[in-house]
Amino acid sequence: MNVVDKIKGQLSSKKLIGIIIGIFLTWFIVAFLVYPNLNLLKLTFFADGRLSLEPFQKLLHSSRALKSLLHSVVLAVSLVVTVNIVGIFLVLVTDYFDIRGAKLLRLGYMTTLIYSGIVLVSGYKFIYGDHGVITNFLVQLFPSLDVTWFKGYWAVLFVMTFAVTSNHVIFLSNAIQKVDYQTIESARNMGASTFYILRRVVFPVLKPTIFAVTILLFLTGLGAVSAPIVLGGRDFQTINPMILSFGQSVTSRDMAALLAIILGVFTLLLLTVMRKIEKGGHYVSISKVKSELKKQKINNKLANAIVHAIAYLLFLIYVMPVIIIVLFSFSDSYSITTSTLSWNHFTFDNYAKLFTQASDFKPYLVSIVYSAVSAVIVVILTLVVARILHKYNHKLSTVLEYAMLIPWLLPSTLIALGLIITYDSPKLIILNNVLTGTVWILLIGYVIVQIPFTLRLLRAAFFSIDHSLEDASKNLGAGTFYTLRRVLLPIIFPSIMAVLALNFNGHLADYDLAVFLYHPLFEPLGIVIKNSSTDQVSVDAKAMVFVYSVILMIISSLTLYLVYGRKAK
Amino acid sequence: MRKPLLIVLSFVLSASLLLSGCASTNQANSGEGGQAPGKTTSADAGKDGTKSLVVYSNSLSDGRGDWLKEQALANGFKLDFVEAGGGDIANRLIAEKNNPVADVVFGLSTINYENFKEQSLLEAYKPVWASEVAEGLNDKEDYYHALVKQAIVLIYNSKLFDEKTAPKDWTDLWKKAEYHGKYDAPSTFGGGTTRAVLAGILVRYQDPNGQYGISQEGWDEIRDYLKFGYHQAEGEDFYANLASGKTPFGPMWSSGIQSREEQYGVKAGVVKPEIGVPYIVEHVAIVKGSKNLDTAKQFVDWFGSAEVQGEWAKKFSSLPANEKALEAAPKDIKDLDASLKTQQIDWQFVAKNMDKWIEKIELELLP
Amino acid sequence: MIEFKNIEINYGNFAAIRNLNLEVKEGEFFTLLGPSGCGKTTTLRSLVGFVTPTSGSIFVKGADITNVPVEKREISMVFQNYALFPTMNVYENIAFGLRVKKMTKKQIDDEVRDIADKVDLNDEQLMKKVSELSGGQQQRVAIARALVLKPSILVMDEPLSNLDASLRVQLRKELKRIQKAFGITTIYVTHDQEEALTLSDRIAVFNKGIVEQAGTPYDIYNYSATEFVCNFIGDINKLAQPVLEKINLQSAKPFDLKKAAYVRTERVHTALKDTGKDFIQLKAKVVDIEYFGLYTKYAFDIDGAVIKNIEKEDGMTIYSIGDELDLYLHSSDIMQF
Repeated sequence: MNVVDKIKGQLSSKKLIGIIIGIFLTWFIVAFLVYPNLNLLKLTFFADGRLSLEPFQKLLHSSRALKSLLHSVVLAVSLVVTVNIVGIFLVLVTDYFDIRGAKLLRLGYMTTLIYSGIVLVSGYKFIYGDHGVITNFLVQLFPSLDVTWFKGYWAVLFVMTFAVTSNHVIFLSNAIQKVDYQTIESARNMGASTFYILRRVVFPVLKPTIFAVTILLFLTGLGAVSAPIVLGGRDFQTINPMILSFGQSVTSRDMAALLAIILGVFTLLLLTVMRKIEKGGHYVSISKVKSELKKQKINNKLANAIVHAIAYLLFLIYVMPVIIIVLFSFSDSYSITTSTLSWNHFTFDNYAKLFTQASDFKPYLVSIVYSAVSAVIVVILTLVVARILHKYNHKLSTVLEYAMLIPWLLPSTLIALGLIITYDSPKLIILNNVLTGTVWILLIGYVIVQIPFTLRLLRAAFFSIDHSLEDASKNLGAGTFYTLRRVLLPIIFPSIMAVLALNFNGHLADYDLAVFLYHPLFEPLGIVIKNSSTDQVSVDAKAMVFVYSVILMIISSLTLYLVYGRKAK
Repeated sequence: MRKPLLIVLSFVLSASLLLSGCASTNQANSGEGGQAPGKTTSADAGKDGTKSLVVYSNSLSDGRGDWLKEQALANGFKLDFVEAGGGDIANRLIAEKNNPVADVVFGLSTINYENFKEQSLLEAYKPVWASEVAEGLNDKEDYYHALVKQAIVLIYNSKLFDEKTAPKDWTDLWKKAEYHGKYDAPSTFGGGTTRAVLAGILVRYQDPNGQYGISQEGWDEIRDYLKFGYHQAEGEDFYANLASGKTPFGPMWSSGIQSREEQYGVKAGVVKPEIGVPYIVEHVAIVKGSKNLDTAKQFVDWFGSAEVQGEWAKKFSSLPANEKALEAAPKDIKDLDASLKTQQIDWQFVAKNMDKWIEKIELELLP
Repeated sequence: MIEFKNIEINYGNFAAIRNLNLEVKEGEFFTLLGPSGCGKTTTLRSLVGFVTPTSGSIFVKGADITNVPVEKREISMVFQNYALFPTMNVYENIAFGLRVKKMTKKQIDDEVRDIADKVDLNDEQLMKKVSELSGGQQQRVAIARALVLKPSILVMDEPLSNLDASLRVQLRKELKRIQKAFGITTIYVTHDQEEALTLSDRIAVFNKGIVEQAGTPYDIYNYSATEFVCNFIGDINKLAQPVLEKINLQSAKPFDLKKAAYVRTERVHTALKDTGKDFIQLKAKVVDIEYFGLYTKYAFDIDGAVIKNIEKEDGMTIYSIGDELDLYLHSSDIMQF
């Protein structure tokens, strides 16, 4: 009898926890993923309680907005092509073909993991811009060259193509290492050429990963801010900067919302198309005795030379901005304004200033705290969800999964707007608190935008765990929580750390979301850097941008090293 | 495998501790939700008698912020600045209506303060120096009070152009082909100066039947203004372009001229149109909902006083609204002021329509 | 010891187990045998607690455990793929269950080393990652991990199916040895009849969610209760109707021509010294020969029907294709259901 009671007691306490988690998740989804966005829709189109098409009319009269929208879509589509070409090439060079110095190349290609956004773009500008190294060189060759040649669509596409290969470098190279080498050998045995093997044997295995990466790419392209602002010039502006400027003005928020919603529609379209194509694309390797991938030699000498040449050219493209940023961080303001480098202008002052002036150091603290805390929160939240999805498979869990993926449909600008507009006055659902003007709103924003990516990775990690391990643990007497803690979490620990690091680095220098949501007294790094790189600021501030950037890269590299580097050893 | 976990975990933990630290400082500053009333008071009167205030302003560049911070600290005010363009500061204040972060706002222009007053964002307070301000500049209901008058002028590189070769009015810039591509035209519209320039042009074409109160002709003028101007790329600086001759013409606020002349070594010529130039008045006001109301009042009393404004004028060549302080202002700026005619502008009309104008410009008129 | 009473297990509309009644005795090595999808693993998992029966009860030592959660049942399981925790080394894997029980370090260490000794794992192997072990070693770890908890029942789900043939035979013996040494009641699931026959004290043959027959290996083999069992166990000939008609001409009691009749291959004889009572003689022709070394399998043609037999390789009986000879069957070896 006693035992039975005990069991009953345990069951109900388990149920209680389940109910609490259920209530919490429902609240979270409603309060932060659904309600603000619906509210935004309502305010945009039903401002006075009835359907208003005024924003549409305004938009249709604005050739500039329509052009910008078009540019955003064109950019997103072009990026899907160019980044996939470059990204796949990078991965083939580092992981598939036998290329000399592949390790060094890999390090170079990984530089996009440590800096992004405005920092990266200004790095490129210092190379290809008006006074850039490359421009100076080209002008000597062709004196008639316009020094402002590096702008517009091609410049934006060029920079972004190299800026957003991070996902390829991480996920695609993982995928290529899982290719069963025996299938390559057997294809060769049947007389297939290198190229044919790539096309018919290797690529099909990579396809699901390429699809997943492509979705991310498209979203990045649609949401581009930094590169078009800096390099787009008059003729190639994209929609997001416009949304930003409208979003900040109370009277123009409906326009901002409408534009953001249109971006959302494009994203939805893409996801639907992708899902259609993706269907049936997944398959599992049937081989029981997989053998590890061996690097392929390119037998054709000419082809080999060409591939080597391109690989190293890409390496240069990737590494140069980093080097430039580091060098300029040691330069005085004269060198920076004139884009010249020389020993005479070498200085440590910028760094000295950073460490002596607390105000210069504070943005780091703010950004690090925001990035770290949001990364941790999102991982915990997503772990719970992923675990639920892993354990239960019914309608409710499907609803949960789709709800958590909502932020994927929405451009981050729209999410930010929804939060601001909805929570600028007390709302019952958050206990009559106001979020606008608090430090929390940016944190919530970061958590929201990181959910889909994190969930996809952690879900995949959970689902790759052999079910019998969980059974075995229970069979050995371990309870649900003990099993989770001692058996399941350790197995997916590497995935957790990886996603933590990626999320952390991803938001260290964030500008797009921060500009809407930051607390004015806690300016994150992205805002400071952006402000310092616009006009009307002293040249000293511009020098500090480089210092900020360098420290940022060091922090990011350290994070990555802690997560990935050790494993490689 | 274990070590990195430890490192990262401890890192994250300390980070979250830091955040909670930050959060509570925030609560102290903004007095959010009254959750930490104890802390609010402790911030109001710090250990050594200094009192914290959050100040929003667009008038902090060129070292003004640093100077003010220093002076204020000496007088017992610890200031946290939030600096941005006039329009952006205004937008932020309006967005934070229900949960204000700022205690005090200064700078901007009458347009903004009228707006704030209408949305009841301000706390009425009559500073001790209110009566020293020139007639007609202060709010009659004591919601805001004038600090500085700024003339928004078109300037040119006086090495390259002189009174004869420079344009006579803003409209010359786009009507005369010789200036095309040579003047600085705005791409963003968050700044107070840009908005004043637009107002100065648009009010010439007031038309009750036109869109947003402006005739089609007026909109065409703005279209041309933007079309034939040079738009700075990100990271460019107007005065640097003026000095280098890339764009020898562009807008400037009167008190900003002197420091730039010194920095770039190029003297600016000022265009003096017949219709006059827009004068904007920068004010100071206390934000409604400030948890540091007493400190804010004390600060406003101190900051607007003839003594401080006089120093400010000397240091940053501004034109004080406080008539006692005007005596201390540099002669250059007083002479400039005397030579300029004030353009007649219905600021209330401007305040009512500015945001819509900006939206239309961004949507339809910006090339 | 273990009793399944009127167990029904349904997955939606699919009935995985129908009215199962089984009893397993203390210390018995009991095998659930059957083709894949027959319900044997489901039965095993319901005993362990991963599956809750739709109706019916399971008793262990007289106590109803049907609704006791997995972790409280004290029934240890060895998984098909061993389910060793990849993030822990061998020692930690074995110690896992002891840690759950919150034993002291000393106790854990003693128990782990004791069991490791019994299953022949040395100290060096204890500290290895599980991925560094061979299949056989992994199996020993899995067994040690299960036995270290001193469960009242050990269950194994096809533990040999991941191993290659020779290792399988070797480990089969080892399993038997360990089971006997510990004297532990063991439930064993397999689809391999040879494993079932060599290891088990008793076998339950499953088919489509029903136990067709439960009994000793000898009974199952020699006295198959159903057509399915006789077909599933061993190598068997189905007698074609014309052949059965011929048999009826010689047999004392005739067989039912409407039903199928079976005879095991080794009970088909080519030469008999004593062709005594009840032996049936059939004329046949050799049509195919499969040489296995240990024995040879012949296929004979009898009026268009094929019958197979096996002959022990004793260096004597060697036929060639086309040879004509007599086959002998004992009528009691012919099974009809």
